[in-house]
Amino acid sequence: MEFLLQSIFNGVLAGCIYALFAMGLTLIYGVLNFINFAHGELIMWGAYFLFLLMEEPLHLPLPVALVPALFLTVLLGMGMDRLVFKPLRQANRLTLLIAALGLSFLLRNGAQFFYGAEIRTYGFEIKRGLRFLGISITPSQIAIVLTSVVCILLLYFLFHRSRLGKSMRAVSDNLELARVVGIDSKRAIRAAWVIASLLAGVGGILLALDTNLQPGMGLINLVKAFAATLLGGVGNLWGALLGGLFIGLAENLGVLIISPGYKDAIAFGIMVLMLLVRPSVLFGGRE
Amino acid sequence: MRKTVSLILALIGTFSLSTSLATAQETYKVGAAFALSGSIAVYGEGFKKVVDMAAEEINAAGGIKGKKMEIVYEDNKSTPKDCVTAVRKLITVDKVPVLFGPAGSSNFMAAAPVAQENKVVMLSAQGAAPALTKAGEYIFRVFPSDILQGKGVSELCVRLGYKEVPVMYVNNDWGLGLKNSFVENFRKAGGRVTDEIPYDENKSDYRAELIRATKGNPKATVNLTYIKEGAVMFKQAYEMGIKTQWICGSAARAPKLVELAGKAVEGIIGTYPFVSHETKEYKSFLAAYKKRYGDDKIPIFGDYNYDMVYITAKAIEKGGYTSDGIRKALFEVARGYRGVTGKKTFDQDRGVDSEYGEWTIKDGKIVDYKK
Repeated sequence: MEFLLQSIFNGVLAGCIYALFAMGLTLIYGVLNFINFAHGELIMWGAYFLFLLMEEPLHLPLPVALVPALFLTVLLGMGMDRLVFKPLRQANRLTLLIAALGLSFLLRNGAQFFYGAEIRTYGFEIKRGLRFLGISITPSQIAIVLTSVVCILLLYFLFHRSRLGKSMRAVSDNLELARVVGIDSKRAIRAAWVIASLLAGVGGILLALDTNLQPGMGLINLVKAFAATLLGGVGNLWGALLGGLFIGLAENLGVLIISPGYKDAIAFGIMVLMLLVRPSVLFGGRE
Repeated sequence: MRKTVSLILALIGTFSLSTSLATAQETYKVGAAFALSGSIAVYGEGFKKVVDMAAEEINAAGGIKGKKMEIVYEDNKSTPKDCVTAVRKLITVDKVPVLFGPAGSSNFMAAAPVAQENKVVMLSAQGAAPALTKAGEYIFRVFPSDILQGKGVSELCVRLGYKEVPVMYVNNDWGLGLKNSFVENFRKAGGRVTDEIPYDENKSDYRAELIRATKGNPKATVNLTYIKEGAVMFKQAYEMGIKTQWICGSAARAPKLVELAGKAVEGIIGTYPFVSHETKEYKSFLAAYKKRYGDDKIPIFGDYNYDMVYITAKAIEKGGYTSDGIRKALFEVARGYRGVTGKKTFDQDRGVDSEYGEWTIKDGKIVDYKK
């Protein structure tokens, strides 16, 4: 019974991380209508930026380093758009896809160049988790859950209560029509990149706090986030949240039954199934 | 001027011709396709020192049936392609019946079929890949296969009194081979494997796998893991409060594991192929090396190369200077032979066994496990 509870908790934990990534991915899709395969590298660089600030020569403590690390991540996200995606705004989807893939390789190999392929940690001491109802929870895991909830609440208020959020939703619904009625689409696009980068940075840092850093960390999780995005309907923010939680739970509970060698197959299986049942989600149509 | 040059050239020509003719008659040539340049040249240089030393010793002691042993080096440039070229040259131009193969399992395995096709004996002194000698009956190794570690881990479990264990392993050729060997040996020894948990490399979250493995709170859990994956897993197991005795192979035996996982790896136990430095064979090898080269920095795998030269010399002496003679004699001369690196008896896969040491982590240091 205990292991079942622990599995459910671990599933929610993984799900929260996937959801943070998936929401960013789906937000960019909503506004710009393409899947940013370099999103995983925003996740990874978010974690590495914090590492950069906490290591030689700066040695900043975690709370101080957090804000500049997230700021750098946002800069990277904005830079991505400015240098690569903006000039390709009118290009077709295949060009954008290939550009995103190329960018992903570049950024990943960049991290490998500077930090090597080995895994790193922020150097915090390992602690036994707190026992609660027979399951163990570490402080960083509590942080993951709380931060995710806060991010989701903030997003909710942003999208449903603020002007900016409403304009982003309008752009996401129909870019041309939004322009016609006088909505500043450039501002909405910029806001989407800032929010997506923030979500990626926060998620990446949480993930690295809970586990560790390596250049491939973004790529692995992007696949899961992508599956979550498809499951929730591409472009649908709350769908991405639920999709992320679902995949996290499915993976952690699934391996209790099937061989863990097929753990990744669960997310991929869901992805393939979604593409078979609702192929429209990838190519323009939105539910 | 031109006359002088041609005269010199002619002289050099006759000289080299006469020496090569003389050597062909008076020495037993053995090929060595070593990495003398390229990315792993540091290996080749070290091997050459030890191989030269061994051959000199053999020759000083009267050679092989009165003839000198001559090592013909060929640079394999550290790439699989040039390994094939080097081995082919040694076989067709130098016509050696036996040669020492390249370092690096992939390099060795690229060249092995060439030796096998030409029916020339080729030996490896450092290849650990289980499939290393698969090319055929002319391919040998004096280094233990990773597969043997499975046996070592099984013996460790039995000795520590663990009868029922789940086994976790990296989901690739290496992990699967090692796991199969462990399971086979453990069952033979009367143990029961409660669950088999393969997992992928390079993940950041192994909690699901860990929960599955330690369902039912096993006293011990075998985890055939690398450094990276091991560090992540042991850390997460520690955080989740999983209490089990972890048993590992040698691939995780590294200070880096402690650096990454800290106190979470305290007390794990593992096995590793072990070369005793206390035997009289090792001590005399070390003394000879010191005398010859002036330091005691034995090159990595130097000890295995040294044994390889001696076994080869013995095989030529016993089986004659033909590849089939050497191939058959290798089994006989190596049976019970105690070299610098221990017993060198060839098994049916033309590999050797090894003694295994046990390691554990105590106060953040990798130390020998004693019980």
